[in-house]
Amino acid sequence: MPIGKDEILRIARLGRLFVSDEEIGPLQRHLNGILEHFERLKELDLEGIDPFALEEDTSGIFRDDAVAVWKGREEVLQQAPNREGDFFRVPRILEENGEEVLPGEGR
Amino acid sequence: MKAVEIAKAVKEARITAVEITAKAIERVRRVDSEVRALLTPLFERALEKAAEIDRKIENNQDPGPLAGVPVVVKDNLCMRGLKTTCGSRMLENWCPPYDASVIRFLEEAGAVILGKANMDEFAMGSSTENSAFFPTANPWDTERVPGGSSGGSAAAVACGYVPLALGSDTGGSIRQPAAFCGVYGLKPTYGLVSRFGLVAFASSLDQVGPFSRSVEDLALAMNVLSRPDPADATSSRRERPDYTACLGKEDLKGLKVGLVSEFENYPVQPEIREALAKVEAILRGAGAEFVSVSLPATIEAGLPCYYILAPAEASSNLARYDGVRYGISAKTENLMDLYMKTRGLGFGPEVKRRILTGTYVLSSGYYDAYYLVAQKARIRISREFREAFGRADLLLMPTTPTLPFRKGEHQDDPIQMYLSDVFTLPVNLAGLPGLSLNAGYSSSGLPVGVQFVGPKWGEETLLTAAEAVERVLGKPACALGGE
Repeated sequence: MPIGKDEILRIARLGRLFVSDEEIGPLQRHLNGILEHFERLKELDLEGIDPFALEEDTSGIFRDDAVAVWKGREEVLQQAPNREGDFFRVPRILEENGEEVLPGEGR
Repeated sequence: MKAVEIAKAVKEARITAVEITAKAIERVRRVDSEVRALLTPLFERALEKAAEIDRKIENNQDPGPLAGVPVVVKDNLCMRGLKTTCGSRMLENWCPPYDASVIRFLEEAGAVILGKANMDEFAMGSSTENSAFFPTANPWDTERVPGGSSGGSAAAVACGYVPLALGSDTGGSIRQPAAFCGVYGLKPTYGLVSRFGLVAFASSLDQVGPFSRSVEDLALAMNVLSRPDPADATSSRRERPDYTACLGKEDLKGLKVGLVSEFENYPVQPEIREALAKVEAILRGAGAEFVSVSLPATIEAGLPCYYILAPAEASSNLARYDGVRYGISAKTENLMDLYMKTRGLGFGPEVKRRILTGTYVLSSGYYDAYYLVAQKARIRISREFREAFGRADLLLMPTTPTLPFRKGEHQDDPIQMYLSDVFTLPVNLAGLPGLSLNAGYSSSGLPVGVQFVGPKWGEETLLTAAEAVERVLGKPACALGGE
């Protein structure tokens, strides 16, 4: 079943992605084309394949759990769009009544 | 000049690294307004680094195997304190606090980084038109695309700015632009080259690799790049060979080359078919034998499999761009709006498409139908390749179904754009090495590429075979009157 406008908005919200009214049409068209192409996979015989089977020996890949000092903390914080001391500042997460703020509901 | 020749001349003090760098800068200044391969030139820094190399030479220190060799690197490789944009508005002014391991390896080997190369945003695309800043042109016909996503790196080598460049390849992003720009491009075996400091796109597929205009330079670059790295958990600990030791073979006797029977009827432009026949004849002439192999699921399901798994991984990897810790940040009143608006502003159309595709195939109710099926298909494809390599030492395949297309040609048709990678992306799904080489030029003067694919850790076989072709066809030409 092709994806409709509401479904695009639902997925976009899951992906935390704002899409404008102008973007919805092309996204819908493109996504439906892509999904149609995915149908080809259903013709493939995949009987008995364990999707998470490791094809290769991966033993002995761990390195020693050794502490290394990294001095880039200040450089990281300098990149913050909104910094307060040693913290990243973000807008309000909870409303006064304790509920999560939904998009478009901010004041 | 080849990288090996530059390094030798610099070490023997016949030319200085500063002179080489200045010459490269001059070449960029003359040509790049037309091609636009570089996003961020690093000329001053490059001249300083070159002077350091020259001081080492004066003090009888060895500056390393790439002494004074100018290189450009794709702009998704982190360089400390320097802009690393990934071709995205999201990271327009971001300066990472560390170097990618491959950047460190290059500089420790004496290479001089001339600039950061243009790319499709977050490496998503096959034309470099998805760069948020400007498109790069194909140096052989500036109305056409250079391929992508590492289009800037490929074009920089094709124009002779540098003998070596780095790109990254998730589904063909080194090999397809290499074919379109008429240079060599090697996508190494998954786990051979460190990805620490490569901005992640699809972590089970991404690999860093080199571009060059000579097989020897490609081998030299692999010697420098393919070091085990404890900072990348997928970096293999196996011992690396000297990749230049497999060169200089007199013939290819005993080498078995596989031709994929399913590709015989696949629509491929006639000039690419002719190039494949030409390379086949050269390899036969050098003593190689040919066998037929079969990859039915690969050709049928490779594309949909890739375009489920890669966006799924991308949607997860790109969740980090949330406007909080780095990158652009929208001014909003609440957190959810901050996420949504930052991402809405920062990402371009193709990245949005892939995030939505990836989110959809991973979402509740669709995961089993898409992601899980694709994961199974991926294993089936890997097994097919493994069986093929029971019969053949390497496969000869097209790199792309078409010659370089015109700018704008596929911009409103994602599937057509994706089809450009139909022969390259299965190689990533199976974690194998692939090398695209130039096999001449079309009647209209466009480069024609073909691809060698090897079994895991089979880079040496690819290099040996590529050198046999180079011996007959010569080094790929330099575009726009370069040398």
